Amino acid sequence: MTAVRDEPLAPEPGVDSAPVITVRGVRKYFPIREGVLQKVVGHVRAVDGVSFEIPRGETLGLVGESGCGKTTLGRCIAGLTDATDGGIYFRLAESDRLFLDEMDAVPEAERTLQHQARIEAIDLAHRIDRMKGDSWRSYRRNCQFVFQDAFSSLNPRQLVKDIVGRPLKVYKEASGPELTDRVVDLLQSVGMGRQHLYRYPHEFSGGQRQRISIARALALEPEFIVLDEPTSALDVSVQSQILNLLHELQQERGLTYLFITHDLGVVRLMSDDIVVMYLGEVMERATASELFAAPRHPYTEALLAANPDLLEGDEEAEMRGLEGTVPDPARPPQGCRFHTRCPAAIPQCGWEVDDAVAWLADNSTTLDELSGVERASEFDAAVRFRDSDAAAEAKALLEGPEVSAPMQGALLALSASGAELRIQFTEVDPVELEDVGEGHLTSCILHTSRSTHL
Amino acid sequence: MTAAAQLPAADRTTALVASVEDLKVHFETKAGVLHAVDGVSFDIADGETVGLVGETGCGKSVTARSFLRLIPTPPGKYAGGSIKFWSKEARANGSDPVDLLSVPTSDILDIRGNRIAMIFQDPGKALNPALAIREQVAEVFYQHRSDDLLAEWNGNPPSVIRRAAGQRSGKLEWVAMKFPPLRSQARRLRKRVDDLVGEALAETQIPNPRKIMASYPHELSGGMKQRVMIAQALACNPDLLIADEPTTALDVTIQARILELIRELQHAHQTSVLYISHDLSLVRRICDRIAVMYAGRIAEIGTTNEIFHEPRHPYTRGLLAAVPSFAHERGKLAAIEGNVPELISPPASCRFHTRCEYATEICRRIDPVLDGHGIGRSVACHGYVSPEELGVAAADIPRLDRSPA
Repeated sequence: MTAVRDEPLAPEPGVDSAPVITVRGVRKYFPIREGVLQKVVGHVRAVDGVSFEIPRGETLGLVGESGCGKTTLGRCIAGLTDATDGGIYFRLAESDRLFLDEMDAVPEAERTLQHQARIEAIDLAHRIDRMKGDSWRSYRRNCQFVFQDAFSSLNPRQLVKDIVGRPLKVYKEASGPELTDRVVDLLQSVGMGRQHLYRYPHEFSGGQRQRISIARALALEPEFIVLDEPTSALDVSVQSQILNLLHELQQERGLTYLFITHDLGVVRLMSDDIVVMYLGEVMERATASELFAAPRHPYTEALLAANPDLLEGDEEAEMRGLEGTVPDPARPPQGCRFHTRCPAAIPQCGWEVDDAVAWLADNSTTLDELSGVERASEFDAAVRFRDSDAAAEAKALLEGPEVSAPMQGALLALSASGAELRIQFTEVDPVELEDVGEGHLTSCILHTSRSTHL
Repeated sequence: MTAAAQLPAADRTTALVASVEDLKVHFETKAGVLHAVDGVSFDIADGETVGLVGETGCGKSVTARSFLRLIPTPPGKYAGGSIKFWSKEARANGSDPVDLLSVPTSDILDIRGNRIAMIFQDPGKALNPALAIREQVAEVFYQHRSDDLLAEWNGNPPSVIRRAAGQRSGKLEWVAMKFPPLRSQARRLRKRVDDLVGEALAETQIPNPRKIMASYPHELSGGMKQRVMIAQALACNPDLLIADEPTTALDVTIQARILELIRELQHAHQTSVLYISHDLSLVRRICDRIAVMYAGRIAEIGTTNEIFHEPRHPYTRGLLAAVPSFAHERGKLAAIEGNVPELISPPASCRFHTRCEYATEICRRIDPVLDGHGIGRSVACHGYVSPEELGVAAADIPRLDRSPA
């Protein structure tokens, strides 16, 4: 994609050629607590093993529906919350990244002392949750955040001058008249001016407030800005002003953006690379033009079909949506996480007992007679009913013609004995992202090397 | 002022469901009188979907809410105009329309949810969190269909049951219903309502409606809640459905499903729809005609094709160009500079002139009227008016065909 990645391995490449942000296998789990003792009974897997890099001066678009973990990931990257697992690295050199990849394959016990020392050194210098002192301060300066809601992210009791000047004061960059001058410069760079200095946020429209947010983010001249849905609260005519402004600023200052949004039209316009997320996992990653021209994941296709204006030529194309709802992120589906709603699903996509139970819940009343479920695994469970009739009915339903063909195809065995119904599905491995050509990654087994075994 | 904005007079009474004429809704504020809606006129024909598009604060929701008189007064004030409404019966026996702004409250209560129904923007806020779904949908039947509920009763139903069916039941009825022989009758009534609610929910393709009926709004996903809202709105087979940004709070993939559903149900019920949205690409998929609003006025009305392929008002052109699409290059998105003007005591000038790249002197002096340019197609812009009509020199007329300065 860029010269950086294609370059032969330099021994110690300079800071300039290293990707600004490297995300390696990041997970963020939120505990679910219950009872008087607040015992942890499970985890919501908001982000579940995400990796990517953002090269200098480029924009990475992060798209997905609400609840897919894109904002959580953005907050982890900005250091606003700690990741549960995995690392976020700032200016990680190519050689170091390759070394860490190599080390991932080696079990911890087999690593030599030298290896451990190098990992430790890399972590202390680059990994944002291990950084100390100066490097942490430098990261905080260099990574700024623009929030979605410009109404609640500006302090209503502070003047614009204080809001925009705050970072400069905190880092002792300027004070007194110099501070005012710097703030005016910043306001001018976002299309505002001296006349706005002594006003409160409520005196501005949504678009102007977002400009103030951007001015605040620019105050310390960062390298990298996380933009979390910066235009979703704005009207189209104002949105285009802000998008143009962000592009100009990137050109002038060589900024690197992580652009989080649910709007495919915006992300297409703004991004070099796009990562599509669903239920905490990356579904597909490609350059913007490639993703829109040839999507290689049914989820991306579904997102595009829901917004047909984005497709070239096809003006009168019908708008198509998806059935069903997003599954519970505390118990994500096996195999491909999208298979429960996927229009192109096949038996090998990871059908499991939960899917059969969910289908029964949606299509019959037999589950009213449910008395318990005993799981051997996600793919094999005995469902107990109160009487044998209900078990027989559930069996007949699951064998019936109304069940989707892929789910039935994945059924290994279905046997009712008395009030118990044993459901067994074919076990599948978790899906993995795979390069299917020129940096285009997808996790859909219809497009990866697994498709040859189907 | 607005004759051409409406359909030809011949089919008016037969074809129309509603006709808004010069609607003015003002709000008293500390700073002065806010002209939220200032002279809006348009028609909705039978079975038609009309889109009302505009940015935040342009008055589209206020217009929609005026149909059901949902604007709180004070601070709001219906300062002028009328909204004429023909129900199916009125059209059948050729009687006069009712003016929704002047009918007595008891009549408007009968129209709300029955003849005109509304779907609100945020289903999470529009549903009552303390009531099960069944109760919320059943309310519509109790309120408007109590006669039907009692029709199959053998003989004259006792007054207690009648009041219970009208849901104006108090403690006394509630206690009375616990006693035999009323108990079995009450149970029959309840079962009948259950069936009706189940049918209404099943129509919106909710899986397992019986299960949903027993759940509370917080247990449902956003898409499901919006389906419940739609079921509630269509329960009484209304003549006009007002959808106020029904999909803004939903994800794109769910949004597409909800739009399909609204369209299917509209065909099945032969309902007219007033669809309010800020999203042009959505409106394009669902509407027959579109009215573009700006700052309390209608800037342009036309069929969907006309608006999208041949936009006339500079504001419509700007809006269409501002939607990011495959044709745009990065950083070159067309933007309408500036902000929406204040609506407090607006001067007599084109509302858009501060942001219009074609504006000339007369745009600052004279208020353009929504004028007809072909049947059902009207634009409020001086660029389409002959100089004689305005009494100015030809050079003063904004020329929309030239490239902007």
